[in-house]
Amino acid sequence: MTVTRRRALALSAGATASALLGGCATPAAITALQADWPPGLPPRVMLDGVPFFPQDDLLCGPATLATVAQAAGRRVTPAELTPQVYLPGRQGSLQTEMLAAARRQGLVAYPIAPRLPVLLAELADGAPVLVLQNLALPIAPQWHYAVAVGFDRDRAELYLHSGTTPRLPTALRTFEFTWARAEHWAVRVTAPSRVPVTAEADGWARAVAALERSDVAAAEVAYRSGLARWPTHRFLLLGAGNTAHAQGRLTQAADAYERTVIQHPDFADAWHNLAQTRLDLRQRDAARRAAARAVALGGPRQADYRALLARAEAAR
Amino acid sequence: MNKTFARAVATALIPCMTLASVPLTAQAGIVSTEQAMVTPAGQADRDRVSAFLARDDVRAALVQQGVNTDDAIARVQAMSDAEVAELAQRVDRAPAGAGVVGVLFTVFLILLVTDILGFTKVYPFTRPIR
Repeated sequence: MTVTRRRALALSAGATASALLGGCATPAAITALQADWPPGLPPRVMLDGVPFFPQDDLLCGPATLATVAQAAGRRVTPAELTPQVYLPGRQGSLQTEMLAAARRQGLVAYPIAPRLPVLLAELADGAPVLVLQNLALPIAPQWHYAVAVGFDRDRAELYLHSGTTPRLPTALRTFEFTWARAEHWAVRVTAPSRVPVTAEADGWARAVAALERSDVAAAEVAYRSGLARWPTHRFLLLGAGNTAHAQGRLTQAADAYERTVIQHPDFADAWHNLAQTRLDLRQRDAARRAAARAVALGGPRQADYRALLARAEAAR
Repeated sequence: MNKTFARAVATALIPCMTLASVPLTAQAGIVSTEQAMVTPAGQADRDRVSAFLARDDVRAALVQQGVNTDDAIARVQAMSDAEVAELAQRVDRAPAGAGVVGVLFTVFLILLVTDILGFTKVYPFTRPIR
């Protein structure tokens, strides 16, 4: 035990030293990207149509959020967003609040995969990307939001609407360092009808489920556009049912839940929601059958399933 | 310095955790999409950990230690949901970054890898490769 522990410490010390030395070189991500440019990715992109708002003081949060919201078709201004995202005490905006404020505009805030090729692929698809950078060092972080609007392979540059400068050329290498220190945080703020080109089904479903609370109609559109790409996804199917139900379109909700349980017969929550909707529609037999399926499957919400089955059986 | 960073990250995470725990104003009798997602959160955590292990900088660190990424990912696939949730929390707390790999992060990663290889047993959620 002692020997292995010592060996582990020696290993970690070695790795730490090499990691610190590695900090001086070009990040591996950039070397790999330049050596192996993704096929289909153009060498140069500039999104000329993306609006720019020079930020006042420390207000990069509202300025960048307004930029991506306008690019997604909303009319909102930085001044309107400031009370939603700016924290005077912190002199900045929290990432969570940036996402929440985007949702309040009826937009989907989709955090993209934390890799440069993904960011570039979004730009190549015509979509600006909101990024967080730490411009200083971890010891004294200087957080900054910017909007990526283009890149150039030959110049090895990324173009950012940043601070008071539109299309600021930033060396890819420098960007990677500052972005890595912000844990590669980057978000596509998008209209619910437009699923990001690099989106993954689970991530899209999570992003839309979060939107359900602020704007159920927008969430419904987003579930449907997700289903156009991933027609059998468990939570997109369920979400389509839930958003229809929330808007009082019960027949449509029941249809969506039926589709969900056909694809995922093991999905107790979907059977439960189907049962509830059938009961709302006064279709008692169908409600009882669906409720019984949920109870048979069980799970953490078994008590709710049983209560619904009891109600369905008591209904006349 | 890395503690400060980790603390800053943790502080930044507090609001999102608080928000996440606010009960949903559910429609009567309907299990919300977010609630339904909670059960297979194991899968989401799993994906997060796998994505973490598949990242270039992490892979480089693993390769440096003679570990193949696929093995590490396979190991994560074998963990229970609760174990992965715990690991995912650690991933969230670990400062990331290619250029400035934090000491905390490195120690965490190395101990995780050595645990997986059976050299150490620091984390309760790992099972060594036989």
